[in-house]
Order: sequence, then structure tokens, then C-alpha cells
Amino acid sequence: MKTKRFSIGQLLIQLFLVIWTVACLFPLYWLFTFSLKDNNEIFGGNVVGLPHNWIWSNYANAWGAGKISLYLRNSVITTAVTLLLTLLLSFMSSYGLLRMRWKGQKVTLTYLLLGLMIPMHAALLPLLGVLLKLNVLSTHWGLIIPYTAFNIPMAILIISGFIGAIPYDMEEAAFIDGSGIYRTAFTIILPMMLPAMVTAAIFVFLQVWNELLMASVFVSSDNVRTLTVGIQQMFGQYQTDWGPIGAALVIGTLPTLILYLCMSSQVQRSLIVGAVKG
Amino acid sequence: MKKVLSNKWHIMVFVLPTVLFFTCIVIIPIAMSAFYSMLDWTTKTKPTLDYFVGFRNYVEMFTSKRSVFPDAVAHSLLYAACSVFLQLPFSLLLALLLARGVKGEGFYRNVYFIPVIISSVVIGQLWRKIYNNDYGLLNMFLRSIGAPTPKGGWLANKETRLWATFVPVLWQFVGYHMLLMYGALKSISRDILEAAYVDGASGPRMAFSIQIPLIKPMLKVCLSFSLIGSFKLFDMVKILTDGNRGTEVPATTMYREIFTVHHYGGGSAMAMFIVAECLVFTLLLNLIFKEQDQLR
Repeated sequence: MKTKRFSIGQLLIQLFLVIWTVACLFPLYWLFTFSLKDNNEIFGGNVVGLPHNWIWSNYANAWGAGKISLYLRNSVITTAVTLLLTLLLSFMSSYGLLRMRWKGQKVTLTYLLLGLMIPMHAALLPLLGVLLKLNVLSTHWGLIIPYTAFNIPMAILIISGFIGAIPYDMEEAAFIDGSGIYRTAFTIILPMMLPAMVTAAIFVFLQVWNELLMASVFVSSDNVRTLTVGIQQMFGQYQTDWGPIGAALVIGTLPTLILYLCMSSQVQRSLIVGAVKG
Repeated sequence: MKKVLSNKWHIMVFVLPTVLFFTCIVIIPIAMSAFYSMLDWTTKTKPTLDYFVGFRNYVEMFTSKRSVFPDAVAHSLLYAACSVFLQLPFSLLLALLLARGVKGEGFYRNVYFIPVIISSVVIGQLWRKIYNNDYGLLNMFLRSIGAPTPKGGWLANKETRLWATFVPVLWQFVGYHMLLMYGALKSISRDILEAAYVDGASGPRMAFSIQIPLIKPMLKVCLSFSLIGSFKLFDMVKILTDGNRGTEVPATTMYREIFTVHHYGGGSAMAMFIVAECLVFTLLLNLIFKEQDQLR
């Protein structure tokens, strides 16, 4: 008797969990089927079902006419350079702040981590002025510079949690062998920090890839516009043909999705490690 | 070794570029925002001390009849309340169920996190389709069971537009809070749980008297994330309704004030208000939790 009641409870729990699973997976299903339909199906004919005709040419249309290839290229360049710069600067400053010994280490670290508390909205208008003065608004640097600066605090928070755990014997041995500080930091400590760097990299990637606010303010030309804003604009402009827009959404989501499928627990750790430490 | 690690020149090479860069791109612009917020700066004037008006922008954004900022702040507080009283308890329920060790625990955990990593643009456009007045899923369902649908569409109707804007954001981040709480629940020592089980605690009793009190530090983290998230809310509102009348939040109002109305001074005052709101609530939360700890 007891086991039977237990299993009914389990069944209800499973039912509840499955309903929420459907709610979470539905966007992906919708997105994928939407990208293969034509307007007739999207508008009322067949909103939820599988496409009647699988129109793969939507992808070709989005790729060519919809400028998606251009936006994708821009997103890749912006994200890649931001990642590189953020990781380099964050690793170097974490090394200097947590492994080297000097007065004011703590104050400087707190100062940099202050950035975690500040919403970037607050800097939008003056930052626009700064970027205008630097004359970078029509280049990829117009986004790379603010993205890097605003992601440094979180990257430092993640990296600094790991860098203290490496024993000082590493440096000692390296110095005795005659290796200089730069070589020690980059060829001995950095490789040991790989897990932390990956965690930070995934966090920064997701932030930058999905960013909308700065991308809509600091970009005025199609040549540097990234996917989020590009797709958002397509919804306003090409109201005639929705299938290719769906295809564009899929193309924009694929990199994140592949990353998540390949290393879901890493991605989860990246997004919560900052929260747990902060 | 000490000599190498405290060499001033090396330290400068490692730390200075980051500090300078961060100062120029993050700190100085925020200081400038604070300065701009006290200027009467529009398209006709310049950001100089000649147009200094003190705290007039701050007073006007709350007292001027045309200002929608008080509404925007009210909306963000309402959203914060929804997040704290609906989203967090729901996430906690999911986390508790998963942490009990149901079948497919890992699968559910991975799936529930998917909405978190998908871009707001995608999620926003999906919900616009769901809400669409003519062919939206929601209305199709309501019509099929003969229920009434809101006039003008979910995102335009006066009664529904604000709630319709909140639901997607609440839905999207359930997985995030769930994962934070789940992690904390999983790190509770098995001995404690087994001892409680032997003492006769199970199910809800176990949750309320053992598990929830033990993950209080993580609940505080979730609480501060949901509060700060409420005040910074922008992407989804911008995509769903463009922050139109009745759905405005502080960040969309600020965006409009600066980039559409070109009231740079007033917009900066709103920006500073958002920063202050985030800081004040973080401090308040710390104080509340500290006091509770001392009461024990």
C-alpha cells in the first residue's frame, strides 16, 4: 500500500516536471518549425504543427538577402576580440592583484569589483560621447571597448577565485630555473588556470553574444551591426516574408545552443559561479 | 622570489592597463552621468556649467505632470514583487523536487536552463507571436474553448499589457534561480538529511524546517539578483512593447528620454536613479539578512 501511494506521488511530480520541460523546450521547437514555413502557415494556417512543406530555402534567403551572413560575421568578430581582450586583461590583473605583493592590492581589487554593482545603463550617454571622441563608432571597436570594460569585473571575480589555489612553489621553481616573471605567468600559471579561463570565457561569450542595449546605441552602420540588433531590425523591415526571419533567428541561436549541448554543466557553472562568489 | 613578485615595474605592467581602461570606460562615464544629471542639457544647450540646475531634473522626473517615470518605477517595483513572490517560490519548488532525486534529474536540470542562455530577441519574438491578436497561440486556444480574448491584443490592452510583458521575463529566469537553489540544496550534507529522516521528517516538513533554512545564504543571492534584475529590466520590454505607455520601466523610459526626446539631462538623472536604486536595495538586503542572523 505504501509503495503504491509513493508511486502516485512520483507520477504527479513527473507530470509536473514534464509540463515545465515542454514550456522550456517549446521556444526551440517553435523557432525551428517557424524557420521552415511560409507566411500562409505562419499566419494562422499552421501555427504550432510541423511544416507542411519544409522550405529549406528560407535559410538561403536569410543568408543572402537578409544580411544575416554579415551580422553573423560581425557578431563573431566582436565576440572573439572581446573575449581575447577581456581574458588577457583579467588574467594579467588578477595575477598582479592576487599573486604579487604590494600595498593597495585589496583596494584596487575592490575598486575593479565595484563594476559588478553598476548597471551599464548608467554610463550609456557619456560612453557614447567617449566613443565618438575616439572615433570608433563605425568600427567593431565601438562595441568591443565597452563590452570588454564591462565584462572585466566578472572575469576577475571568476579568475581570482581560482588563482589563489595554485601553490607558490610553482613560481619558486620557475624563478630558480631562471624564468622571468612574464614567462612564468604566461607559460606556467596560465595553463594551470585553464578551467577558470574557460568558465570566464563562457560567461563573457553569452553576455556579449546576446547583448542588445549597447549594440542598439553604439552601432549605426550595417557593416558592424551584430546579430541581436540586426534580427530585431529585420522584424521591423521585411514584414512580407517571415520564414527567412525565423531562419535568421535559428542561425543566431545555433552557436549558443551548440555550446550548451556540448558542455551544459560547464555553461551552467559559468553563469552561477559569479553569483555564488559575489 | 619575494623580490620578483614585489617588483613595482612588473606590478604596473600587470595591473595598470586594466585599471586605466576600466576607469576610462566605466568609472569616468558614470561620474559624467552624475554631472549631466544636474544640467539642463537638451539639443539646444550644451553640457557646460552654464546650464547647471542642481537637482531640478530629479525633482521634475517625479513631479512633472508629463513625466511617466513614477509609473515606470512603480512598474519595476511591481515586477520585483512578482519575481520575489511568484518566480522564486516556483524555482524553489522545482529545485526541491529535483534535489530529492527524481528520475531524469540531470535531464530536467539541463532543459530548465535552456531559456536562460537563449537571446532575449528570440524569446521576445516568440512571445509576440504567442500573444498575437489574430493568429497567436494564446488567442487560438482561448477561442477554441470559447473564452473571451482581450480587446486590441494582449500587449496593447490596458488591462493585460503590463502582465503580458512580465510573464516572459519571469518564465525565462526560473531556470537560473532553480539552478542556484538546486546547487545549494545538493551541497547540504547527507548526514543532516538522514538524521532528519530518522527523526520522522519528510517531504514538506523536511523542506521547511531543514532544507530551506540551510540554504538561506543562497536565497539571499537569488533575492538580490531578482531585485537588481527588476530595476535593470530592459531587453524584453523593449522587444515586446518598446516600453510604450502602460508598460514602461525605468530603463526604457531613460532610453527614450535620451535617444528619442533628447533630454540628456533628464535621462541622465533617470540613469543615476537606477544606479542608486540598485545600490540601496543591495545594502538593505544585506542589513536585513545580517539582523536576522543576529536574532538567532
